[in-house]
Amino acid sequence: MTETQEASAAPAPDPEPEGQPVPINALFENDFVTQLILVLDTDTIDEAAQKVAYHVVGRRLPPRDAGLVMRVGGQVIPGHLTVAEAGIAPLGNVLVGWAG
Amino acid sequence: MARMPREKWYDIARDVDWDLSYVDYEAVFPEWLSGHGKIPREAWAKWDEPYKVTYPEYVATQREKETGAYSVKAVLQKSRVFDQLDEGWKSVAKMHFGGVALIEDLAVYAELRMARFGLAGAWRNMAVYGTLDETRHTQISLFFPHELIGKDPQYDWAHKAYQTNDWAIIAARAVFDGMMLNPNVVDVAIQLPFTFETGFTNVQFVALSADALESGDINFANMISSIQTDEARHSQQGGPTLEILVEHDPKRAQWIIDKTFWASARLFSVLTGPGMDYYTPLDMRKQSYKEFMQEWIAGQFLDQIRDYGLKKPWYWDEFMAGLDTWHHSLHLGVWYWRPTVWWKPQAGVSPEERDWLREKYPEWEKHWGGIWDVTIDNVNAKRMEQTLPETLPWLCNFCNLPIGTAASPYNDKYPVRSYPLQHNGYTYHFCSHPCRQIWWEDRDTLHNPTVIERLLGGQIQPPTVEGILGWMGLTPEIMGDDAYGYSWAKRYANRNGANGSAAEPAAAEPTATESA
Repeated sequence: MTETQEASAAPAPDPEPEGQPVPINALFENDFVTQLILVLDTDTIDEAAQKVAYHVVGRRLPPRDAGLVMRVGGQVIPGHLTVAEAGIAPLGNVLVGWAG
Repeated sequence: MARMPREKWYDIARDVDWDLSYVDYEAVFPEWLSGHGKIPREAWAKWDEPYKVTYPEYVATQREKETGAYSVKAVLQKSRVFDQLDEGWKSVAKMHFGGVALIEDLAVYAELRMARFGLAGAWRNMAVYGTLDETRHTQISLFFPHELIGKDPQYDWAHKAYQTNDWAIIAARAVFDGMMLNPNVVDVAIQLPFTFETGFTNVQFVALSADALESGDINFANMISSIQTDEARHSQQGGPTLEILVEHDPKRAQWIIDKTFWASARLFSVLTGPGMDYYTPLDMRKQSYKEFMQEWIAGQFLDQIRDYGLKKPWYWDEFMAGLDTWHHSLHLGVWYWRPTVWWKPQAGVSPEERDWLREKYPEWEKHWGGIWDVTIDNVNAKRMEQTLPETLPWLCNFCNLPIGTAASPYNDKYPVRSYPLQHNGYTYHFCSHPCRQIWWEDRDTLHNPTVIERLLGGQIQPPTVEGILGWMGLTPEIMGDDAYGYSWAKRYANRNGANGSAAEPAAAEPTATESA
């Protein structure tokens, strides 16, 4: 193997991770169980809500033409905040439902 | 030589005891194994089992039972009875074998512990019979399914299940280790023979045997009946122990019964509920699970504990309300996460079956009907990937069952939610107040991480659905699938509102386990 080949075979450095994984215990409104959902601390709340919905809507609950809201401790969390900014910690509970 | 009449020697033989002089009493019956607590040593002299048996009588009776059970099996082996059994019923049997066969073996050790550390001679004597009983139950529960492995490899899990990390087995191990192996023998006697065997399995075996006969599974009915007659005898170790405990420490007696009944009821709702209300063919069902539990478990158990001067458990209203909901949610969960089980769950929601469910449970449609409708539409539109899981339900830190299954979706009083608890900087999650309370009281003896905790802790590699199934021991030929190949859903093909509209999930990329 030549030096050039060795160089090209070397693994590329890992890209900077976009965010740290945050496992949450999530319930989608009117579903029958809470589920493990992995979000990133850099996800916006809107993105995190979509990740929760992915495992429920169209699978066990019908889709609706509406946006999603996330609640923590009964309080609606603004969709533009990130998971980290909203203070959602690993193993925390969240509730996602339809807006309106 | 003429035999001495039984009544002349029986009481001495069954209750041999003596004062120890070469060793300390505490060394022979240490507190952590024998569990004296507040009970004075002399109180145990009163221990008296209601059903008495000598060893020759025991052997003669057991021999007859064995001959009967194995003779019927030998005859049926040549018949085609098994081939004609309903697939849903077979799932009841597979679930039972995998969930119970090696728990019978665990019970051998529980009985042996009572035979050694029980605080009265008569009790130890009774526990020796119990040990022999449970050994027989293990053997028969392994032998009967063994011949069926060639026809259906899922029967192999009669022997294998308990050695795996399947979620249902982790839940069962948590309950039965806590009931049989962990506690001192006074607590074992109240938990196992009194609460679980007298309260649950005796009556369950009677009902299961009747359902098996109705379903044409004579072999299974025969085996279960043979086991049940032993249980009825050795479960009587509970009563005399409880009588003494109540006299000296009623608070301890109440707590042991309360926590064991709750743990047993949660487990029963997944091991027995779906079998009775969904898997057993409709025209062969005798009673709904709720009717069975109300009549045989709840009513009889309350009468029993009141007879001993105890109160009904603090969570009684929640338990009774749960008879309308728990097992429906657990059934739905088992069906949706069907690759994680070693049987073929029957959906049990054909139009006629839904009529039956609505009749027995007037609120069934409100809570679960809509979820089944979305599932049915997905099956009929061949969107099978939408009917299968890509993540796990969060599991309760006490009962190890999914959070939400001690509740139902549109339930104001017991809503689907987690009951978290922060302890030593860590968040535990529970399915209900009672699970949380029992865990809190017993936390120093409970060290059984849930599947979720094992996944997040890195024990399951790779952390994908395939990785999880492999870690649970499930291979492609074993993984559960719909009992009838989804044929029941075709009945809804022209359902009003059957939606093509459920086609697209309103969401983003898969996130849970793929990248966990």
